[in-house]
Amino acid sequence: MSKVKCDHCHLEFSDEVMIHDGEYRFCCKGCQGIFHLLKNEGLESFYAKIGDTTLTPPTEQFEDSINFDSPAFAEQYITETKEGLHQVSLVIEGIHCAACVWLNEKALHKMEGVIEASINFTTNKARITWNPNILKLSAIIDMIRAIGYNAFPYDASLQEVRANKERKEYYLRMAVATFATMNMMWVAIAQYAGYFTGITQEIKTILNIAEWALATPVLFYSGWVFYRGAYYGLKNRAINMDLLVVTGSSLAYLYSIYITVLEKGEAYFDSVSMIITFVLFGKFLEVLSRKNAADTLDVIGKHIPREVSIVEGETIRSINVNEVKEGDVILIRSGERSAIDGEVVLGEGSFDESNLTGESEPIFKRLGDKIISGTTSIDALIHYRATKDFAHSTLSTLVNLLENAMAQKPYIEQLANRLSHHFSSTILFLAIATFWGWYFWPHSFDRSLMVGISVIIIACPCALALATPVATLVGLSLGAKRGILFKSASQIETMAHATTVVLDKTGTITQGRPEVTKMMTHHPFEIGVLATIVASSKHPISRGVMEYLDRHCDLIETLSIEEIKEIPARGMVGRYQGMVVAGGNAQLMNELGIVVESSSDKSVFYYAVDHVLVATYELRDLPKEGSKEAIALLKSMDLRVVMLTGDHEGSAKRVASEVGISELYAELSPEGKAAFIDELHAQGDVVVMAGDGINDLLALAASDIAIAMGRGSDIAIEVSDVVVLNDSLGSLAESFAISRRTYRLIKQNLGISLVYNSITIPLAMMGYVIPLIAAISMSFSSLLVVGNSMRVRWLTK
Amino acid sequence: MDAWVIAMMLGASLLLGGVALIAFLWGIKNGQFDDEKKMMNQVLYDDEAELNDAANQQRKKELAEKKRDIDQNKMESNF
Repeated sequence: MSKVKCDHCHLEFSDEVMIHDGEYRFCCKGCQGIFHLLKNEGLESFYAKIGDTTLTPPTEQFEDSINFDSPAFAEQYITETKEGLHQVSLVIEGIHCAACVWLNEKALHKMEGVIEASINFTTNKARITWNPNILKLSAIIDMIRAIGYNAFPYDASLQEVRANKERKEYYLRMAVATFATMNMMWVAIAQYAGYFTGITQEIKTILNIAEWALATPVLFYSGWVFYRGAYYGLKNRAINMDLLVVTGSSLAYLYSIYITVLEKGEAYFDSVSMIITFVLFGKFLEVLSRKNAADTLDVIGKHIPREVSIVEGETIRSINVNEVKEGDVILIRSGERSAIDGEVVLGEGSFDESNLTGESEPIFKRLGDKIISGTTSIDALIHYRATKDFAHSTLSTLVNLLENAMAQKPYIEQLANRLSHHFSSTILFLAIATFWGWYFWPHSFDRSLMVGISVIIIACPCALALATPVATLVGLSLGAKRGILFKSASQIETMAHATTVVLDKTGTITQGRPEVTKMMTHHPFEIGVLATIVASSKHPISRGVMEYLDRHCDLIETLSIEEIKEIPARGMVGRYQGMVVAGGNAQLMNELGIVVESSSDKSVFYYAVDHVLVATYELRDLPKEGSKEAIALLKSMDLRVVMLTGDHEGSAKRVASEVGISELYAELSPEGKAAFIDELHAQGDVVVMAGDGINDLLALAASDIAIAMGRGSDIAIEVSDVVVLNDSLGSLAESFAISRRTYRLIKQNLGISLVYNSITIPLAMMGYVIPLIAAISMSFSSLLVVGNSMRVRWLTK
Repeated sequence: MDAWVIAMMLGASLLLGGVALIAFLWGIKNGQFDDEKKMMNQVLYDDEAELNDAANQQRKKELAEKKRDIDQNKMESNF
């Protein structure tokens, strides 16, 4: 059988399963539809552009796009430009390559009424401007879906806009500073050469004026951030690093103008621009690696269903979640997530509550049982009555709590900040003392002022300002190589101070899905029949059994079994060659008249043929590989390891003893977990929390450092400070090692710059510092710090 | 060497450098470096069709603005 590429998505399938459409082949109707659409629109050059990239075939079922036209939606996401046009920010799903960006932009541009559509390839975010008189947003969304992508809105919050603006501002300031400093260097070389070999005063003045022209934009444009910082510092009665930078560079600048105009002595313009440039780079590195909290809430929005189906007599109607009132009857189908709390009035079936409670097994719901918002229906088709409106439902409440918790995240002051305060005051004091000392020694006012200024210039915190950002940047890249993403540089330092690690059970220590641990065959049977039965169900237990069969038996043939029926909370029953085959739990067996003992606390899957039990499978959520070693490693780092779970005590204890955790707390609600973290804080612990689900969100937000597992829910990843991409506890333990190593590096760097200063400051106080020495010392100390940070990278490949 | 020559050369080269810097700053402000991935691919999508498309969008925008102005004038003249 030869494999053929689908003409749209480029995935390969065997020729006979493809849809034949003239000379073209398609894997599905979706691909075929898109292909013809693009052809009709004259956009078929897309296929030439994407090359060999494969696309995801369009299979998703979308909720009705009409919802995008509702006033509630408009209020939340649509902004009006001053030209009277509407603007929305969307995240486009399914963008693989530059050609996808091209296609989306082109397709939207072709629409009448779309004024502007620009898509950011890096973030997949799009900003679309359109004329509301000609076009509705739903039409735009339909177009994006029609060409095989999906879009969901996000709130381009002020915070994010501000963060981007700040970054751009820094680029501009740095471009100016770098340009001026680099040009300053070759002018300065002429100055230095002249200092040693002789230079006429005329030429010297020309060079000074050129330097003056270059230093001015650096000090007042690029250095503006330091003036601002110093001003706010003084307002709060604090002497900060900015003040030191500003005093040093401004005084040197004024002094140099004075020198230039009077045509005597040496100007320090080069030092002015060097100080500003170096420190600005350090500050920029900090801004760059600061976490952008703004994106977090966008992703949460994606997880909350925006519309629900409500039942009114015979009719079923989709309405916006905000419009649901208490007492409305809501229909939930299998696979749907509930948005509103309520009580079942009709139907029964299993719900996956692992998101909220951490309970790994599905919960069976029947008449009168409570439905919690945020849980997903596995196989249930249920009518339930809303007992709360959307704003008061569990999921909304959780989101609100989360927002609060994130706003009140504990903050541990960084070492460099604490140090810089003392450092700055000391240097300023020394400079003033030096000036008075020289003045009364007795020396001329000019000379005394020059020496005083040179103390500040030489002590310029270039190295100090670079010490932390450069070290953390090295730490960040070390982590990234090992699949550990630190979202914010300052968190590395906080993590190095951690005393306690709190781990969630389901999904963090364990795999989060049941696996077969024991299998007993009572009578021989056909594997194929069992495989077909379990494959028909999406229940985690059935999946676990299926996985086991896949792994241990080769060549499973799929058989046709008549009347396969899934009985909620029991299992599956079918008919094969006249025999009744049944697979499920003890209850199902009992109902079939088979006596099984169900004393085991594990989940057990029974398989019976013709009312005779033939096989038993025991399943359990197993700890991940290497967990035990990782936890031992954490303990060896003097960390207190605690396990929290919403699951019941029995299974929690077993997992804990398997991986070697002695301290565990079971049956905790999401709020309970957060409260536990707060308690640890009250005892003065610095807490690192690792989790993966929505049930951990509050605890993650409350902790000093939140670590999310890469396979965890998107929200957990967004809320957390560190993401362990490969999902293993080993990497989690390694993240501690990296943060500690980085912190040690920060301390070394700070030490280097302080030692450096303790040598050069006395020299400056004695009046030995000329511009050349100031420039060399500044570059050299910065190089030392950067070099020391690089050393770690070379040592640990 | 005459000091005047040095002054002129310094001035001229700084001026030229300054022009390049201003062009770069304009690029940053204009958002040309906002999307690093797209920027690197931009060269692939730089033919006549793209130019037409961009011009087309510009025309649409102007049209929308003009229409709004007319609408506004109408509203004002109604009073």
